[in-house]
Amino acid sequence: MPAPKILLAVAASLLLANSVLLAHHAYTAEFDTTKPVKLTGVLAKLDWSNPHIWVYLDVKDDKGVVTTWGFSASPPGMLQRRGITRNSLKLGEVLTISGHRAKDGSNNASGNVVTFADGRDALIGQDQAVNPTLK
Amino acid sequence: MKRRFAVSFVAVAAALAGQSKVPEIPRMPGGQPNFSGVWAGPAFTHIVGPNDTDTPRVTNFDRAKMAPFQPGAQAKFLQPPTGDPRHDDPTELCLPDGHPREALAPYAQQIVQTPDSLVFLYEYMHFFRVIPIGKPHPADIDLTFMGNSVARWERDTLVIDTIGLKEWTLSASNGWHSDALHTIERLRHIDAATVSYEITIDDPKIFTKPWSQEFQMKRHPTWSLLEQVCEENNRCQGGNCTASDSQK
Repeated sequence: MPAPKILLAVAASLLLANSVLLAHHAYTAEFDTTKPVKLTGVLAKLDWSNPHIWVYLDVKDDKGVVTTWGFSASPPGMLQRRGITRNSLKLGEVLTISGHRAKDGSNNASGNVVTFADGRDALIGQDQAVNPTLK
Repeated sequence: MKRRFAVSFVAVAAALAGQSKVPEIPRMPGGQPNFSGVWAGPAFTHIVGPNDTDTPRVTNFDRAKMAPFQPGAQAKFLQPPTGDPRHDDPTELCLPDGHPREALAPYAQQIVQTPDSLVFLYEYMHFFRVIPIGKPHPADIDLTFMGNSVARWERDTLVIDTIGLKEWTLSASNGWHSDALHTIERLRHIDAATVSYEITIDDPKIFTKPWSQEFQMKRHPTWSLLEQVCEENNRCQGGNCTASDSQK
């Protein structure tokens, strides 16, 4: 199912701008920026709730074993104001999500960019590379 | 008599000249600027397109604009992480962000203005500030996350003075202000849909002198505040994730 045009337009502009950081707290408190992750799987569940949406992918490895990964992305309100709604991500569709792994090493990560099966992508989370910091 | 007339004429002319720069701003029945509306605040990148979308981002104060630290105060302000979320970033536990960090949160904020008060309704964590206009601070103030604010008019600029803030994070970048923090916010229309938001940080326990930073706010007539319940599904606190039902 194609994503809404508004989603793609907003996502494209955001990706080009490369200046977005979305969070309600310090990103590095939860995610290890030295451990990037990019996984492809089937959208198994979508928690469209605050303070961050969670996107769950069933990821199959080379041996056919399926593991469910959770990705924490932006809050619903932020996504909504950028044209991304709960209907933009469809259960059962194949998605690729990139982000950083949770600090506890579990099968959880930040969800920064989602790529749809047809190659279109959208920023759904945080870009740690532009996190302004005093330290 | 002639001198008094001359002074009055100059004052009226100056007032008219000042107002002529922003002739179309919303005004209250009494003539004061009206800031009522839903705003994309200082934490938004204001590129308002056809779909009425501003881009929110976590916003911190610019380190280059800060005044020098008091002797020994840099260590108090830039406290290194300890691994305890309550210290490293209390909002990770859904604790308040407090003033002035709330103003820089990447969420919408609504202003409701009456002739004698200004009310900020912040979407993030549902915080609010009820700010009387033309009244002094109370004599005895408890220290709180949002502090005690009073406002006054300086011509078309609303000046908000805030004290009574407990020691807390100044911004998302985890600089810790002291309990002596005093802020002065200045709201001034640039045009009907744009407001200059300048905030002065006066923390004599941390900085050698007050310093200021200016942001902009954009009015969004099509927006309304959304529910934001931080405790609803706050996973991975401190980097320790709990499994969702789909992962069990």
